[in-house]
Amino acid sequence: MIDSYIPIFIIFVFAVGFGIVMVKFSSLFGPSRPNKEKLSTYESGIDPVGTAHERFSIKFYMVAVLFILFDIEVVFLYPWAAAFLNFEPVKMVYSFISVIVFIIILLVGYLYVIKKGALKWD
Amino acid sequence: MIQLKELFDLIPLLIITFSATFILLIEVFVKKSETVIFGFTLISVISAIGTSFLYINKQLLIFNQYLKITNPAIAFIVIILTGILITVAASKQYLEKENINFGEYYSLLLFAVMGMMIMILANDIIIIFIGLELMSICFYVLVGFLRMRKKSNEGALKYLLLGMFMTGFILYGMALIYGITGSTNLTVIYSNPKLFTNFIFITGVALFFIGFLFKIGVFPFQMWIPDVYDGAPTIVSGMLSTAGKIAAIGTILPIILTLNMLNFRMVFSIAAIATMLYGNVIAIAQTNIKRLLAYSSIASAGYIFVGVAAMNEFAMKGIAYYLAAYTFMQLGAFIIVSILEKKDDGSRDYKNIDLSFYKGLGKRNPVMAIYMTLFLFSLAGIPPFAGFWGKYYLFYAAIQSNLIWLSVVGIILSLIGVYYYLKVTVYMWFTESEDIAIEDAVSVSGFGITATSLAVIGTIVFGISPNLFFKMFNFII
Repeated sequence: MIDSYIPIFIIFVFAVGFGIVMVKFSSLFGPSRPNKEKLSTYESGIDPVGTAHERFSIKFYMVAVLFILFDIEVVFLYPWAAAFLNFEPVKMVYSFISVIVFIIILLVGYLYVIKKGALKWD
Repeated sequence: MIQLKELFDLIPLLIITFSATFILLIEVFVKKSETVIFGFTLISVISAIGTSFLYINKQLLIFNQYLKITNPAIAFIVIILTGILITVAASKQYLEKENINFGEYYSLLLFAVMGMMIMILANDIIIIFIGLELMSICFYVLVGFLRMRKKSNEGALKYLLLGMFMTGFILYGMALIYGITGSTNLTVIYSNPKLFTNFIFITGVALFFIGFLFKIGVFPFQMWIPDVYDGAPTIVSGMLSTAGKIAAIGTILPIILTLNMLNFRMVFSIAAIATMLYGNVIAIAQTNIKRLLAYSSIASAGYIFVGVAAMNEFAMKGIAYYLAAYTFMQLGAFIIVSILEKKDDGSRDYKNIDLSFYKGLGKRNPVMAIYMTLFLFSLAGIPPFAGFWGKYYLFYAAIQSNLIWLSVVGIILSLIGVYYYLKVTVYMWFTESEDIAIEDAVSVSGFGITATSLAVIGTIVFGISPNLFFKMFNFII
């Protein structure tokens, strides 16, 4: 049984080895001419300002969390919608009801979020 | 194929799910919603208890074998729901006192119950995981519900980090179990004949159990309990120590009994002894009543594991009975602590939870002192109360499996426990309060008294007539 894992092991060794070889060889044989710009923090070409450890408003987190929540809803709905027309009629009704229940639960959450003012920016 | 009529086999779960969701709507659409939500939660929990009794003797396997309804499962669910009913009834006055009277509290509580019910009914390890996570995530939030208190935040963070870590153990164990048996369904896993010859399967089961032992608080994994119970809002500590533990035990107990892990009896016995020793000995040194009750709940987990180590037909009955008794007495004690706690005055620490506060309580507040004495006597295992019969059935189960040494050690260790329970009782009745200025004008609302009285009635009725419990859930003794 363990034998069947040998190819995975070989790939693993290759992956680690390849990474080490690439990094080590380029630092060994590559030219190294550092200057001030090269050594500064990479900010897509703009000079870095201030530190990265700042306090952010809770609003950003709220929006991010709610985005993930409703984004995953779509991820769940997509495969169902794609397969829906291929179902036999009984299964179609059943799956439709299930999805409606799923949407209603999310709708309750959405109403709660709106009413609590989690999406208000000011 | 799943059929819609199978939903009728799950009415209690549906009631809890519906009300947990509906509370959120009441919270935002009704003004002054807290009282409405409180009443609504009480009604839904009571109706869930009532409908649970419909399924006794019904042995069902529903939803593509994902859920399994058995008598012990129903018993565990009813015990949990009763605990939640008492918690909810006592919550209102505590939340008002601490200025955290939000409707979300009840919603989180019911979502946690939903997770527990799913976990106990589950016949598939993935469903167990869903239930466990639903329960745990609600617990993390509930522990940190008093967000202006330092200890509450500390407890919530500790519980979150350790809980997440242990969830990792459970998932890794599940992966190994699935890898060996090729199925997540417990029925299929049980039907595999030579499981325990496979080292990987044993590792998987061990990892899976480690996560659950953490939730129950058995010896090497008990370190979070005092800090979390001490930091959580007192009423939530009571709920965690009863409902949370019962859910975890109700999930793994059928698995242990069905897998018939007799080879591992020694492991469970040693865990039981270590847990009892740790809980009882360290509780002696405590000066904070919440920490004392936390260590007492660790000791109780030890008694339960004496029953688990027995692994015979008496074990299930003994553990179910002990858990019912334990719910009433432990929850009752925590509720009394919550009633006596000082009103929120903007400080960042809990007040009036030191043992010295309980000196002379019998004179200042006799009703609360009498109730507390009953619960402590029951926890200590003094005969007329339910706690005695709980320990009796557990040690009896151990003796039936020829684990006489284990029961002897258990009884000796539980005698150590009598010391600290009686210490509190002596403080209440036979000493004068040092600080005469302790203002103790506790205003106990009707619901607070009803909740504690319910717990007292449970402790006494089950203590006088232990067979009542077995008849209720049709256990044959």
